Amino acid sequence: MTSHYVELHAASAFSFLQAASQPESLIERAVELEMPAMALLDHNGVYGSARFHTSARRNDICAHVGAEISVSSFGSRLAPPAWLPHQHPAEPAKLPLLCESRLGYRNLCQLITRFKMRETTKNDGAATFDDLETHAQGLICLTGGDEGPLAAALMRGGEEAGRSSVEQLIRIFGRDNVYVELQRHQEREEEWRNQAALRIARSLRLPVIATNGVRYAMAYEREILDLFTAIRHHIPLDQAGGLLATNNRRYLRSAQEMSALFHNVPVSVENTVDLSSRLRFELNDLGYQFPCYPVPGGETMDSFLRKRVAEGVVRRYGPKKDHALMHRAKKQVAQELALIEKLGFAGYFLIVWDIVEYCKRNDILIQGRGSAANSAVCYALEITAIDPVGMDLLFERFLSESRNEWPDIDLDLPSGEKREQAIQYMYQRYGELGAAMTANVTTYHQRSAARQVGKALGFDEESLGRLSNLTGLWEWRSKDETMAHSFQHAGFDLNHPRVAKYVELSMRIQDLPRNLSQHSGGMVICQGQLNHIVPLERAAMPGRTVVQWDKEDCADLGIVKVDLLGLGMMAVMHDCLQLIPRHYGDAVDLAHLPEDKSVYRTLQQADTVGMFQIESRAQMASLPRNKPDRFYDLVVQVAIIRPGPIVGQMMHPYMRRRQKKEPVTYPHPSLEPILKRTLGVPLFQEQLLRMAMTVANFTGAEADELRRAVGMRRSWERMKNLEAKLHAGMIANGIDSGTQDAIVQNISSFALYGFPESHAASFALIAYASAYFKVKYLAAFTCAMLNNQPMGFYSGAVLVKDAQRHGLRVKPIDVQRSDWCCALEREGNGALSLRLGLRYVKGFPHQLAETIMASRKNEGMFHSPEDFAQRVPELGKKDLTHLAQIGALNSLDGIHHRRDALWQMERAAKPEGPLLQGRPESLREESDVLPLRQMTTEERLVADYAGTGLTVGKHPMFYRRPELRQQGSLSAEELRYRRDGEFVKTVGCVIARQRPGTAKGFIFISMEDETGIANIVVTPDLYDRNRLTVTRSRFLMVEGSLQNQDGTIHVKAMRLAPFVHEKVEVQSHDFH
Amino acid sequence: MKQGDALYAALLAREFPAQTLLRYRSELRRLPCVVIQGEPPLQNVISANKIASALGIEPGMTKVEVEAFPAVTMLRRSLEEERTAKAVLLECAGNFSPRIEDVSQDGIFLCVLEISGTEKLFGPPLALAKNLLSHVRTLGVGASIAISHNFHTAVAMAKGTSAPNIRCIAKGDETGALSLLPLTVLEMTEEQAEIFSLWGIRTLGELAHLPEKELVSRMGQAGKCLRQMARGEFPHLLQPLEPDFTLEESMQLDSPVELLDALLFVVNIMLEQLIFRATARVLALTSITMHLTLEEGARHVCTIQPALPTNDRQLLLKLLHLELETHPPSAAILTVALKAESGSTGKMQFGLFSPQLPEPSRLDVTLARIRALVGEGNVGRAVLQDTHRMDGRGMEAFRVPARPRAIVEQPPPARSAMRMVRPPEIAWVTLQSKRPKTFLFRGRCYAVEHAYGPWIVSGEWWAATLWGIEQWDLVARTPDGQMLCCCMVRDPMREEWKMVALYD
Repeated sequence: MTSHYVELHAASAFSFLQAASQPESLIERAVELEMPAMALLDHNGVYGSARFHTSARRNDICAHVGAEISVSSFGSRLAPPAWLPHQHPAEPAKLPLLCESRLGYRNLCQLITRFKMRETTKNDGAATFDDLETHAQGLICLTGGDEGPLAAALMRGGEEAGRSSVEQLIRIFGRDNVYVELQRHQEREEEWRNQAALRIARSLRLPVIATNGVRYAMAYEREILDLFTAIRHHIPLDQAGGLLATNNRRYLRSAQEMSALFHNVPVSVENTVDLSSRLRFELNDLGYQFPCYPVPGGETMDSFLRKRVAEGVVRRYGPKKDHALMHRAKKQVAQELALIEKLGFAGYFLIVWDIVEYCKRNDILIQGRGSAANSAVCYALEITAIDPVGMDLLFERFLSESRNEWPDIDLDLPSGEKREQAIQYMYQRYGELGAAMTANVTTYHQRSAARQVGKALGFDEESLGRLSNLTGLWEWRSKDETMAHSFQHAGFDLNHPRVAKYVELSMRIQDLPRNLSQHSGGMVICQGQLNHIVPLERAAMPGRTVVQWDKEDCADLGIVKVDLLGLGMMAVMHDCLQLIPRHYGDAVDLAHLPEDKSVYRTLQQADTVGMFQIESRAQMASLPRNKPDRFYDLVVQVAIIRPGPIVGQMMHPYMRRRQKKEPVTYPHPSLEPILKRTLGVPLFQEQLLRMAMTVANFTGAEADELRRAVGMRRSWERMKNLEAKLHAGMIANGIDSGTQDAIVQNISSFALYGFPESHAASFALIAYASAYFKVKYLAAFTCAMLNNQPMGFYSGAVLVKDAQRHGLRVKPIDVQRSDWCCALEREGNGALSLRLGLRYVKGFPHQLAETIMASRKNEGMFHSPEDFAQRVPELGKKDLTHLAQIGALNSLDGIHHRRDALWQMERAAKPEGPLLQGRPESLREESDVLPLRQMTTEERLVADYAGTGLTVGKHPMFYRRPELRQQGSLSAEELRYRRDGEFVKTVGCVIARQRPGTAKGFIFISMEDETGIANIVVTPDLYDRNRLTVTRSRFLMVEGSLQNQDGTIHVKAMRLAPFVHEKVEVQSHDFH
Repeated sequence: MKQGDALYAALLAREFPAQTLLRYRSELRRLPCVVIQGEPPLQNVISANKIASALGIEPGMTKVEVEAFPAVTMLRRSLEEERTAKAVLLECAGNFSPRIEDVSQDGIFLCVLEISGTEKLFGPPLALAKNLLSHVRTLGVGASIAISHNFHTAVAMAKGTSAPNIRCIAKGDETGALSLLPLTVLEMTEEQAEIFSLWGIRTLGELAHLPEKELVSRMGQAGKCLRQMARGEFPHLLQPLEPDFTLEESMQLDSPVELLDALLFVVNIMLEQLIFRATARVLALTSITMHLTLEEGARHVCTIQPALPTNDRQLLLKLLHLELETHPPSAAILTVALKAESGSTGKMQFGLFSPQLPEPSRLDVTLARIRALVGEGNVGRAVLQDTHRMDGRGMEAFRVPARPRAIVEQPPPARSAMRMVRPPEIAWVTLQSKRPKTFLFRGRCYAVEHAYGPWIVSGEWWAATLWGIEQWDLVARTPDGQMLCCCMVRDPMREEWKMVALYD
């Protein structure tokens, strides 16, 4: 009985605020109902289809594909008549379409792309009859429920109009492809439409079909749908009235229920099974082919690639003058090319090579990362910068024959304009319909859920703001820190039923999709035919298009993507490469930076603020222990402070061995060559692969399968088989059972989070470059860092203070000298100093800065405050006040101090009458008396932090030092010279708070003072007692015991108190 | 009187909502107490006593945050008690001077007494202040007083200093006395406050020292006023409180009156008096409330509100008559009191070509008659509400449409008519396979021939008012063959059936 109904009209939460369940939940319910197949028809797209398909396959359900398309030619969808009070906005009717064949799917994708791309901005869009006619083949249409064209026509013009709308569908899709749809939600209004539909079907001899217009899997999810409706219409639930659902009947019903509901039209239920058997298309039949790379006549892609690689090998390895290496490289390359040829991936490599070539031609830094760095082909093509042959990296980690998936090459580009240029090149090269960004599905998380639900339930803005500050603060959360707790801390009474509902709904909508945005860098490419595979639409950003699936969906369906990721540090590198030759006269080549002792010395001292990947608190804490003194140590350093090695308890053994506190041992002598460079501790995924290959005779492909199996928790069955194979192999190699267990333990505990060595090496290259630039060219490096904020671990304020401690002079913003960006200036003594740019004036428009710069260029320096105000008339009073406050006007003639500037600007900003217009002297006052007092040091600090987020003057703590010294408080520098275990007291400005997922609730706070940065550890207990002090205080007084081990210094806090530093608004980087 | 001769005493009571509530709750005065306002679940602290403030409780905290402090008593704000307390304080102040201006703000009681010329009665200003403060203290309110020859100086001093309780500023000392007070004691716009903050001006003394001309060129005349206030030089025209103008008449009847006519005879005379007094102030009556004391101690109250303020005695009398007819007193009447609210005389200008409307006063009488017949809430224009509820209808008062509807809609297609049963009547239903089989309605038994449904409607699941019903359309017949087409609903939460409509 239960197998006699197939739901063919269901929408998932990927209809964005128009349905309430995840595609997976719908499948889960279908499994419970033993439904053999089901169709997902999301609104204007196939957004949820990929997940629906993946989940359905896992459960042996047939997932039909379709969409509910807005069609403007049918007029507005059904709405209450105008004489009834209602708030329904006019929306086009929606037509349910199902894909019968691959052709139908292609047509659907093209149809959606066509009307979506017709919009000039990110918009819903709607199809016309013309669009439908062009792309009707292979599609089957239903007449829809209350949102469909038939219901709208019946309401508008009765049965006659209804019939003609169905006839129109027959004309477009053909008589065999139109089904008259019946839905019964036990709504009174619906039934007369059903009766009319039945008569129309009879008269036109069309089949009828029963659906439930499903909007959620279970009846109680109607609440979520109502909530979404309120959110979608920006109206509180109390006022939403008729916009909300009449009842909760749009859930996924069983065959039994449907048969009972349609007992008088049994054929309508039977027809669902018939129609389902007609729908032969599923998403695994996409027909996707990776684009070909156009090669010159007489060449194949393989031969062309072979030539490019051969040239590359000579270019890369020739200068090294190492015959053995060259020989190994050639051998490796030949092997890789053979595999690439066999798998048919040449086009992919050529396309990535093409991007790299384009970037090189256009002065855009680019570097491949991830497992691609294991490939000698990638190195030869200059996609990556790490020599896998020289470093003895394992190719199998990148590509293996058995893996049945595309290789994954991630490219790092400087974030900002340069990256956009590369992306636009891709569009230009492969056409608007040939390349698109992958989507990123924004889902509700704690904070957004609490805000949106609160609004819908009619709570006031102030309470919502308070709540937002408290929800979802940390990465780590203990069991008792639930959302309900956040509500309670925000002052909500959980016993009140409305608040209880609020909490419940906020939790229920978490992880449900909210909207589609574009992924930061993933691009999919398909030689002008991407719209055959997946619909494309406009992204919010002009000039960008986006596919309707995210990168996991694309990967699941075998669509290849190239990641063009924006990396702030690449932009810094790029800027450094411009600044260093210009100001220092040194030529630098990123690929050939010398190994420098002073750089390693700096690293060993953990003096790494601003350096790529090694600047975090945890990295700093481990650097003095690791004491890197060559490049490979840095590779390990980058990889070791990761959740994987920490959770897998690899970090401490390695460090102890490195410090020679523990002997270097190997689980088995045969593993020594593999684990030698990491002192017997497996750290990299490549090592895992090699271990399996060595001890258990796995092939490269098998070893990679093992890595992937370990990575996927769910595939325990596969893992078990592989484990058995591993044991068998080890037995064959005569390894005793104790060692076997140790090796298996090593593999499984680590592999989950393991880091590819190639990736670590790629990052270590950048890390070394950033360290080198910071040590050797501090001014240029700091300038580049400041011009590319926000990025990295620390704010501009911390970078400036750090640079100052290292001897760089940083000069304040000055309208007479500052450009938009920070710049270097040559001092009288020949030293370089850094001038802050106008970009650091908070909220100051770029355009205004350009106007100031242009005026200075054309007419010279500004003579007076009045002259400044008149030459840049676009400056409003607010801007002038802002500039005056931060001291940017102090160098104008006649201005003595910031308050004086404020006083004069208040006058200069008043528009004068026509009589005095154009005469700046008219604004000058007779009296020269300065009525306002100069700002105090404290006031200047407050103004600096409020206006620019940083100060170039002394650190706020400097001014309090005498007082603090009296109280027995130590500076960060002084802490270094205290004994381990000593009870200390220190005060500082909080620059970062972190509660890492791996630290069991411990909170790490970095506090800065005028001498450096101190690290504080807060136990979960102490945090519980001082929640607000920890999360809110800008300055903190800490007392506790000092932990000084191997040069790593922490204060384990026992007492915390906020330290009052009047109104200084410093920004802390909190890891939410 | 010349400006300089005036002498002002500003009387200020802080945390007024808390002080008001603790006046009669002496047992709570030694405990931490806060006053909260707002509707649950959104309630915030508006005021606190000193003990609570010392614990760290601040205005704006929510109820849940206050609950984190041990043993804090929370009281709900009572505007009524504040009004009473304020009236009491003003009355007390009135004993010292007839000329008082009320400048209270939310949460603070502040009034200024003009006390020049009171020396002979109350002694020097300081003695008056002490006297006044002790009176105020006996009323259960803690306050402070500032005395100055300048109105704004007195106000600023009262606001800006908490100790000592009495401050007396000699003439000419104003600028010096004010100089240390924070700028917040002056009332200024946010923009002005921001400018002063940027300039680093924090005290009245600093503001007083700014050059006048330059200040005016930056902040205009408003800046000049503030500067004068800061110097204690800004003049003020006192706007003394006036006693309320009340329209009340009452009469003890010689003997208990039972007949309406006899009562109306008396009421007519009282109305005449009220109208006379209102007319003298060019006012008209907007509403009249009649309080009747009845035999056996009962009371009867009724109110009439003509559509427009009027002094038409006949009309008012007629409306009272109809009201009493609709709601007659339950026993003989002993006393009668009339209290009227006054408003401006009714004026309404109609356009020359606008359609003739019924005279408002006559329409009023007609509507009152209808109300007397069909009951309150059943007169007006029926409107549908935007909801799925079956009872989603309401009544709104008749009104003249602002402009005729631009869109002429097509009438809805003809459907069969139905009569709503209001209020719905309970029916007893027997079921078969969860469908109605027979039912008992208005004493007759019906067998269901056809049942359509159930149509399921539910809503407001997020609130305590959540509801859900099942509707059924039934065709039923009595044993004698009489047919009934009707709509019944079942409330699944109460398991109750009701007849809601009958189809014609």
